[in-house]
Amino acid sequence: MVLVLPAVLCLATGYLIVALASPVLCRHFADWLLRLSLSVGFGVGGFSLVCFLSRVCGFDHLFLADLIVLAMVTVAWLCLRRRIAAADVQKTPDRDKLSPPWFHRVITASFVTVLLAALYATIRRAIAHPHGDGWDAFAIWNLHARFLFRGGSHWRDGFSALLPWSHPDYPPLLPAGIAHFWTYLGHENQLVPAALGVVFAFSTVALLISALLSLRGSTAAMLGGLTLLSTPFFVEQSAAQYADVPLSFYFLAAIALLAIYDWSSAEARNLGWLVLAGLAAGFAACTKNEGVLFALSIIFARLLAVLRRDRGWRSLLVLAISLAPALLLMIWFKHSIAPPSELFADQSALHKLAIPARYWITLKWYGKDFLRFGEWAYIPGTLLLAGLHFAAGTIAKREQKPEGGFLILALLLTLAGYFVIYLITPYDLYWHLRFSLNRLFLQLWPSAIFLFFLADPIHVTNAESVC
Amino acid sequence: MDEKPTPQRAAGRTATAVLVFTLCCLASSARLFMHATTPASDDVAQRSDQRFAAVKAALPATGVLGYLGESGNTGTADYYLAQYALAPLIVEHSLNHPFVIGNFPTAKPASFPPNLQLITDFGNGLLLLRNRSRDKDAK
Repeated sequence: MVLVLPAVLCLATGYLIVALASPVLCRHFADWLLRLSLSVGFGVGGFSLVCFLSRVCGFDHLFLADLIVLAMVTVAWLCLRRRIAAADVQKTPDRDKLSPPWFHRVITASFVTVLLAALYATIRRAIAHPHGDGWDAFAIWNLHARFLFRGGSHWRDGFSALLPWSHPDYPPLLPAGIAHFWTYLGHENQLVPAALGVVFAFSTVALLISALLSLRGSTAAMLGGLTLLSTPFFVEQSAAQYADVPLSFYFLAAIALLAIYDWSSAEARNLGWLVLAGLAAGFAACTKNEGVLFALSIIFARLLAVLRRDRGWRSLLVLAISLAPALLLMIWFKHSIAPPSELFADQSALHKLAIPARYWITLKWYGKDFLRFGEWAYIPGTLLLAGLHFAAGTIAKREQKPEGGFLILALLLTLAGYFVIYLITPYDLYWHLRFSLNRLFLQLWPSAIFLFFLADPIHVTNAESVC
Repeated sequence: MDEKPTPQRAAGRTATAVLVFTLCCLASSARLFMHATTPASDDVAQRSDQRFAAVKAALPATGVLGYLGESGNTGTADYYLAQYALAPLIVEHSLNHPFVIGNFPTAKPASFPPNLQLITDFGNGLLLLRNRSRDKDAK
């Protein structure tokens, strides 16, 4: 019961941040689900930063800090709600109503089946592994959370260079979120990191479904959710208490919010979506180092799109400004608290870039993991999507928007960034690829599924209809 | 000669593709369901918090300790779990500290480096050792 208060505060803060910036979408269920899923991620993100900044400032009254933040967001919402309500709603094409009823029933039943199976498997795993499934849970994320919770004025010891194996340069969003909840409880409880993992996983699913439902209709939404929930590795990782699933949530949030902005008609475009996208990318940067790479990739890809079209400078500026506070916080964290990252401490990093064999090895692993990623039964999910594209995508009427390309480019740039990191890694290259590449792919997987069904809406009819 | 598919044939092909896709998703999900982990004993808690409870109570809350343990993959995990249990103390895998934690879950070694002196044996392979060559640092 003690967990209810922080959970309500966390969700309320997240909800108000989302409500503050976003207009209502035309599909009521999609809008409600989108807001709920975003509220979870934004709430936890905000909660974590409040805890971390309180530690930095030596302020011990977290409840008071939460109330101040909540009051500030509420006042801002009360002042701006008329402007938000006045924003135009979005029109979305809906061809699903023209699909045969049996088709919908099959897809819906399948979706509900995999949802229940995933829920069951996740909860079983969370119970079986209360301290997480794998070393990173207790060697990195929960260890940092313990330092933040137990350390008092010595919390910085958790980011000491004496513990290089615990990756003290990793951003503190997830540990600070856990420590915040523990502070309310007054003691450590493994339910918190376990629940956060599960909540992030199912919020990612809800976000994927609601965004696709808003933009592409129910068939694409169900199929997108079906794909993600049927990925065993995603379900397993949601109970592992690693940061990759939360990171995948923030990646997807940024990508989906940008898509919602770009897919809106010119008169319905609301800069609030961009503010939320920037905040999501910022939270990603505060979750893992890969998030910094993703945030820079988003900005760079958007810049290329703006330069190509010679318009959209205002949207780029809004995105960059809303992303800036989190990036500045991370720059300060890296400079003032964390020791230098071991990835860039290696003097021979530049020399490694000139070794062709490292490119070939990394490329081969990228190819191999593309096929075996996700631990699917019988046929890999990536191949299934490719098959679906060729079998159905050639018939489905394309509704590509030119802006979609920059979202794909942002993911490709992030993947390319991961590639470069492998090239210069100070670790044994095979070892590093073996133990991390599948998790890096997982971070991008929900966004890739979203972009797939956004570009390739599957309909069993070609008839036209509007929302 | 290329023949353009009729809308009905096109819709049928799409529906078939989606159904095959859905079946594959269900198969993957079924395997996940069947292989759902059976709840087991909490290995991490046993090897960290429970095992180090007495040591933690005997040590100051903060500071830096050295560490001496077994080698190999299990030894590395034991070290990480020692740090996990003893946080916010920093446990560095090194003997260059006035006090050193000895962690030997399988077998205690017959002898230690000569500069290390046993202070407390907590049982269960857990020891607190003093590094005499760093005595002046302890003061």
